[in-house]
Amino acid sequence: MTESALISVSGLTLGYGERVILQALDFTVPRGSIFAIMGGSGCGKSTVMRALVGLLRPQAGRVTVGGEDYWGCDAARRSVIDRGFGVLFQGGALWRALSVGGNVALPLRLFTRLARSDIAPLVRLKLALVGMADAIDCRPSELSGGMRKRAGLARALALEPEVLFLDEPSAGLDPISSRRMDDLIVNLRDGLGATIVMVSHERDSLFGIADDGVFLDAATRTVIARGAPSVLRDTCPDPLVAAFMHRERLQSP
Amino acid sequence: MVNFLVGAILAFIGASQLSRFAASAYVADLVGLALVREMAPVMTAIIMAGRTGGAYAARIATMQGGEEIDALAVAGIPTVDYLVLPAVLSLTLTLPFLYLYGCLIGLLGGLIVAMTMLGITAQSYLQETLAAVPLNRFVFGFGKCIAFGLLIGVASCQIGLRAGRSAADVGAAATRAVVVGIVGVIALDAAFAVLANGAGL
Repeated sequence: MTESALISVSGLTLGYGERVILQALDFTVPRGSIFAIMGGSGCGKSTVMRALVGLLRPQAGRVTVGGEDYWGCDAARRSVIDRGFGVLFQGGALWRALSVGGNVALPLRLFTRLARSDIAPLVRLKLALVGMADAIDCRPSELSGGMRKRAGLARALALEPEVLFLDEPSAGLDPISSRRMDDLIVNLRDGLGATIVMVSHERDSLFGIADDGVFLDAATRTVIARGAPSVLRDTCPDPLVAAFMHRERLQSP
Repeated sequence: MVNFLVGAILAFIGASQLSRFAASAYVADLVGLALVREMAPVMTAIIMAGRTGGAYAARIATMQGGEEIDALAVAGIPTVDYLVLPAVLSLTLTLPFLYLYGCLIGLLGGLIVAMTMLGITAQSYLQETLAAVPLNRFVFGFGKCIAFGLLIGVASCQIGLRAGRSAADVGAAATRAVVVGIVGVIALDAAFAVLANGAGL
């Protein structure tokens, strides 16, 4: 394990009950990288993310975060580590009982000592960062899918996390919004120094912004390739990875 | 509404049966006791199991499907404190008051039937009721309602949290919560009846 590794995963086996979804996963996420978890639909990309953020206990193996055995900690310690995480779920997962602004404000209200009057400008700032400042009083049900995602991202950013986990950040967005999301992700990494782990099969954004990653395969249930998507595209001998990347090359202008 | 009808029905049956023994004056006793002790708590709880219990389960199951529960967990916000506890508390606090209201309405139902069928005056009916129903029966009914509220709240939230993640699971959770709530209330009521019998109430 290199010193720059922020998250390292070894021998991880994941599944629900009897059903094993992925096994023998090994990879490290370098600090400050934009790390992509790639693969076709249904290969368990989101499942890996659930294990990394503490929603699914692995059946075997270790996840180390900043040198600490994540699943070996007790729940209290894990929730302290979780404070350093920001998570964007696939559908945004906004709490529908609260307004958009309320969603962003809730973590700030609960986990910081900021006064109510200090939180309001901070919420506006986070929403402005994702281009949603106008929607502060909207209900989540009034938003489109893309707006929900961006609001979810603003909420994930509320506590200035060290690691951002993004589940399909640009899937289902139109090309312009998708591109804006990509730029935003790069800005977050460069501006806040955050490490970004993203689950994606959007090839455009993978090649554009990810600088490291793993490729999961549903058939062998494990990692079949490792490296930056653009490097994998050009050098990976594995036919599946090549096909995944190749189709993209045909489609891109 | 339901409690009004229950009160009226009790009075009808009471009137027709008791008149055989020339005891129709005791209709007020019958309606009052049955309402305060059994009918009002159980009926109110069953209505709330159908309405509120189902709604709780559906709401939490919907949140489960939208990954909102996961988002709470990741943010380190305890689901029990922020979702389950307020829901259970509010139901537990409301149910006893709805019970009192139910008693009142049921009494009215009984009164109207007694006045129209038996020609009992409102005043004597009320006097008879007050004399027949001791305060501890009220306390007992009140206590039952608190227990019913806890049962419905906890069960329906639990069912919502355990629901699957698809839209169909929301409907399934709501149905389950209603069934479990109603059966649970009746079973608990039976347990209370045994308990009350033992305690000589």
